[in-house]
Amino acid sequence: MKDWSAIAKAAGLDIPAKEAARHSQPLDGLEEAFRPLVKSLTPEMEPAAVFDAVEEQA
Amino acid sequence: MTIREAADALRRRKVSAVELTGAALGRIERGNPTLRAFLTVTAEEALAQARQADSELAAGKDRGPLHGIPMASKDLFYTRGVLTTGGSPIYKNFVPDRDAEAVARLKAAGAVMLGKLNLHELAYGITSANPHFGAVANPWNPKHSPGGSSGGSGAAVAAGMVYAALGTDTGGSIRIPASFCGTVGLKPTYGRVSRRGVMPLSWSLDHVGPLTASVRDAALVLNAIAGHDPADRSSSRHPVVDFMPEESDVRGLRVGFPENFFFERLDVEVELAVRGAIARLESLGAAIKPIKLPDMAALNAVGRIILLCEASAVMEPHLANRSQFGPDVLALLDQGRLLPATDYIHAQRLRRQMVHQFSQVWSDVDCLVTPTTPNTAPRIGEQTVKLGGRDEDVRLATTRLVRSLNLLGLPALSLPCGLSAAGLPVGLQIVAPAFEEALVLRVGAALEDGGIGIPRCPF
Repeated sequence: MKDWSAIAKAAGLDIPAKEAARHSQPLDGLEEAFRPLVKSLTPEMEPAAVFDAVEEQA
Repeated sequence: MTIREAADALRRRKVSAVELTGAALGRIERGNPTLRAFLTVTAEEALAQARQADSELAAGKDRGPLHGIPMASKDLFYTRGVLTTGGSPIYKNFVPDRDAEAVARLKAAGAVMLGKLNLHELAYGITSANPHFGAVANPWNPKHSPGGSSGGSGAAVAAGMVYAALGTDTGGSIRIPASFCGTVGLKPTYGRVSRRGVMPLSWSLDHVGPLTASVRDAALVLNAIAGHDPADRSSSRHPVVDFMPEESDVRGLRVGFPENFFFERLDVEVELAVRGAIARLESLGAAIKPIKLPDMAALNAVGRIILLCEASAVMEPHLANRSQFGPDVLALLDQGRLLPATDYIHAQRLRRQMVHQFSQVWSDVDCLVTPTTPNTAPRIGEQTVKLGGRDEDVRLATTRLVRSLNLLGLPALSLPCGLSAAGLPVGLQIVAPAFEEALVLRVGAALEDGGIGIPRCPF
């Protein structure tokens, strides 16, 4: 479990503490589903984002 | 009347575009106080477009099957000289100086544009209970939600205010209102339809597509709006075909019936209706093949991470003034800002891996048939639904069966396959490999021709 209120404060985000606390349930649930998936990634697995040096000049 | 029927009547001079437009405007005037589907009605411009359409037809200039047909677009699409709010007070005075590419293509095909349709605030939600412009109501029962975020699009088509409407789909926002309102809704392959001039919610998940009264009408609209746009970086150069399913033969087609995930925790009436439609496909000659799919819950988790991060990046410049957001949208925008950048990168890495894994499915089957939503339309304001004996958050339940297809970028069609005992529509979803929109439309047309569907909305 992460302390989302502390994360908001440390990041300098203007999220009222009371509201940040309400994000715990959805974000903790998402963390629980997402974190194990990340363990399956190997370094050669690149993100599904493309940069094309020629296209970007267009 | 469908687009095809209206187009035929126009060419037989049984009706004029001005008459079609006048009738549509009349339905809007009578129905919109209840449904709140339209935010802006451009009656004068529409009648001028209709008069031009009639003049052209009389002079022998025929722009094709959409010529003179009344339509509208979600208020997320730029429309030249017409207020475009995105359902948010942030854009309450925004009047674009150009049309979105999809709108421009519809106009070039002769469509008569009647105005702008209500939506979930910033397209970031599934209820269309817009706190700034009013909650859209479902024409089948105005106490119920039309779904969202393209809720005004679904309601307007179901209520017969327009023959077709443009919507956007980032996590189900075309297919959910189609399911709840009993219309057809098509999310094409990512990149098939230009996103240029559409307010972004999540650049890598946003799709543009039509909501219509029939499968073949969806094909007609897709024919007009599909194709490469060099000004949209996500736009595909994949060849465009004629999407119209002139024949609806499904004999020998391998239709995948998911053994996992898609038939878990469903409303009983939804499950019965979808299974009935699958049985109909089998009786039409399709081979129904049970299939085990990859971890769809994992796909949903990855999709949510990407959406949270990208949407927060889109809206961050406006977050200094928190009072201009509704509470549900503000909560999601805050959540996106709390996630670390590494999670977003990991999610895009997992996406690539998952797209590869899922592509193996197509060696066993040609398409998949699933429910669109596990439930019928909830009442406006309902926060949870009971499914499989447990309460589930309405937003998570409603997006559960559709969100993964945005991550995968695959074409997915929702069409009505029954009514619940309470008189609310049930939707089924057909999914195919990338750029196989013609296939999902053919299967959908086979179901329609085979008697799967619902009566006209009595609204």
